[in-house]
Amino acid sequence: MTAPHVSTSSTPTPPSTAEKAVRPDKPRRYGPMGLALTAAAAGLWAAWTSGIDPAAILRGPEQLVRILGLMLLPPDLGTVPDALAGMIESLQIAWVGTIIGAVISLPLGLLAAKNVGGRFSTTMARQVLNLLRSLPELVLAILFVSMIGLGPLAGALAIGLGSIGTLGKLTAEVVEGIDRGPIEAAEAVGGERFQVLRWGVLPQALPEIMAFWLYRFEINVRASAILGLVGAGGIGGMLSNFLSYRRYAAAGTAILIVIATTIAIDMVSSRIRRRIIAGPRGPKPTADPIPSADAL
Amino acid sequence: MIRFRNVTVEYPGGVRALNDVSLDVPAGELVVVVGLSGAGKSTLVRTINGLVRPTSGTLEVDGRDISSASKAELRAIRSDIGMIFQGFNLVKRTSVLNNVLMGRLHLVPRWRTMLARYPADDVEVAMQALERVEIVAKSYVRASNLSGGQQQRVGIARALAQEPKVILADEPVASLDPPTSHVVMRDLQRINRELGITTVVNLHFLDLARAYGDRIIGLRDGRIVFDGPGSDADEQVFEDIYGRSLTADDVLQAKAEL
Amino acid sequence: MTAAPTQPASARPPKPPISWKVPAGIAAFLLVTWWAGSGRFGVGLSIPELFAGLERGQRIMEDLFDPRWQAWRGLIGPFIETLRIAILAALLGCAAAFGMAVLTSRISAPGLRSFLAGKAVLNVVRSIPDLLYAMVFVAVFSIGPLAGIVALILFNIGVVGKLTSETIDGIDTGPLEAAQAAGARHSQAVRTSVVPSVLPNFVAYSLYAFELNLRASLVVGFVGAGGIGQVLFVALNGFRYDVVSLIVICIFIVVFLVESVSIALRRRLV
Repeated sequence: MTAPHVSTSSTPTPPSTAEKAVRPDKPRRYGPMGLALTAAAAGLWAAWTSGIDPAAILRGPEQLVRILGLMLLPPDLGTVPDALAGMIESLQIAWVGTIIGAVISLPLGLLAAKNVGGRFSTTMARQVLNLLRSLPELVLAILFVSMIGLGPLAGALAIGLGSIGTLGKLTAEVVEGIDRGPIEAAEAVGGERFQVLRWGVLPQALPEIMAFWLYRFEINVRASAILGLVGAGGIGGMLSNFLSYRRYAAAGTAILIVIATTIAIDMVSSRIRRRIIAGPRGPKPTADPIPSADAL
Repeated sequence: MIRFRNVTVEYPGGVRALNDVSLDVPAGELVVVVGLSGAGKSTLVRTINGLVRPTSGTLEVDGRDISSASKAELRAIRSDIGMIFQGFNLVKRTSVLNNVLMGRLHLVPRWRTMLARYPADDVEVAMQALERVEIVAKSYVRASNLSGGQQQRVGIARALAQEPKVILADEPVASLDPPTSHVVMRDLQRINRELGITTVVNLHFLDLARAYGDRIIGLRDGRIVFDGPGSDADEQVFEDIYGRSLTADDVLQAKAEL
Repeated sequence: MTAAPTQPASARPPKPPISWKVPAGIAAFLLVTWWAGSGRFGVGLSIPELFAGLERGQRIMEDLFDPRWQAWRGLIGPFIETLRIAILAALLGCAAAFGMAVLTSRISAPGLRSFLAGKAVLNVVRSIPDLLYAMVFVAVFSIGPLAGIVALILFNIGVVGKLTSETIDGIDTGPLEAAQAAGARHSQAVRTSVVPSVLPNFVAYSLYAFELNLRASLVVGFVGAGGIGQVLFVALNGFRYDVVSLIVICIFIVVFLVESVSIALRRRLV
């Protein structure tokens, strides 16, 4: 190796004169300012016209503390068995509903993906998914209750139908985001459409799609805990009764059971999701996989 | 200005990054620290402003003891020490000027920081810092829209805005191409000469080290194995510091010609 | 597996054994599904009953597909109230959510204690469904929009707080270190390096929360928390499925409009 030396030939040109120029004026940025002003104006309008009695707001904390006190001090241990049974039914509703949603959303989502479905089927599938997404589960639950009668089946169907919209949309997004290479490879060896799907598309997309199913299960657990309000089974009916008959201690116990169950399910499920995405020996990602905020 | 006395730094897990280092850097000197990655260069620089705390030994900067400083004292000492990073460490989604104003935070009351309303004097200092590195025209540009060399000059301006007594630079040119590396190194040298700010720079390339360092300190396995003027540091010295024969990767000039 | 006595250097590797966990997992999944779906222990999923239900639901379906268009005037007032609820809840809830997010990200939390406390609070807040909040706050504030607003504020804290805190977790910590190296206080470092990095994402999440509120206000109205949901509840209880269908269509349109605007805005932000 030759002796390293510093030559002047490598010294670069001095910074261009443009950068030496005088200080620029502070630019005005109207976009963010406009957004902030719009938000502030909307907030003022809403507060001004709401007709809410400020005294009611002031009384709120005191009332809240009083009711929380009635709920939690002491909890009504007598309701624990019933509440647990109700919570288990809610979990069953969420489980069956999520499976219904997953099974139906997978083909719909594939059809809605631009790189899989044809143009016509993509548009149709997207519209169906959009429509389903705009129907709240509670409304679906009421419709199912009036069709097939009171009980958890109505709840499971409502949850299932309600999950199709978001799950299908997310499935389509994941499939559209996959690498083109394996699809081309599967086509190049003469694979038929179904074979291309099975070997070119699904292996890439399935882990993420399954992670969304689990994520949706977490959301569905919350949803199924309230469907009982309209007679669709689970712990919700009990809760709404307790609250309307002012049995606050019983309601508080049931709410605690809901909170504990959802937190436990979230923790287990997020661990499994990480493993599905990263693989058994993969690195541990720091954040949950949320590609679009619609996942919630 | 900087006094290391038997400083040892041990990371959790038992890695000894600095081993019984004693070192004096007088005011106004430009010191270049060289060594392989993992030799403790980065730890040495980060110990000086307390981003890494010594496990044992004492360390003084401008007569103030870092090793035993409280949180508030540490903030006060750090405000006199500007730091320049390998990855620039700019906030990409805000303007160049806001990035440079971060150098004034130690003087700005908290409520002003929260509202992003800086006193005019502080804005003036930030502007002058930007002028010194000749990038003032970009003051209101988002940092993400600048090239790597420009971003590092903003990094230097941020350090200058602190009006520091010491500047630390941790591999300031490792993410830059060779010509830009020289621009940044000459900026650092000029600032050292014109403002008399004591400067400690980590470098890997021996030609850059020899060209810009008043004094070169060689680190190997956390110990100082060479300490002398740049003119004394010939190839043999570098081979001793690196513990192996030199390769093209060790010379910026050679890298540029690859 | 039978290994040849003299294996050449490039022998075919044996098929890796399948871990017992995979079939065990599949078996557990099927078992749970059967348990949850069975008529005896679970929800009683049966296809014949489904079809019977669909037949019974024919009249409902007919009403649903024949919306009572002339009822639209009566919906304007409740819709405006829904809009008010959604706006106030989004503004107040998202502002609080930002504070929670700063507390509950490892990167920006001022200390371990506030981090753990914030995390626990956020987990509890998130675990309660929006409708349950509405029930509780109707008990607290009595019937009216105030209960709906407070319920949705908590709902938004949960959603936006979690999303923002995860975004903070993902940012580059270099600038934070730079601010600390310049002698800044922790709060100043967070304000100057974390806030600008996540602000566009936060605004996008807040717009999204506003959309969610419009949808959720349907539901919270059921328990008397004001807005269009209250009208929907009355219609459902009165078996007026033609009005139900009109309300659903109107919500579909409103949500669609708001969503289009907010998607356009979000795209420019991030």
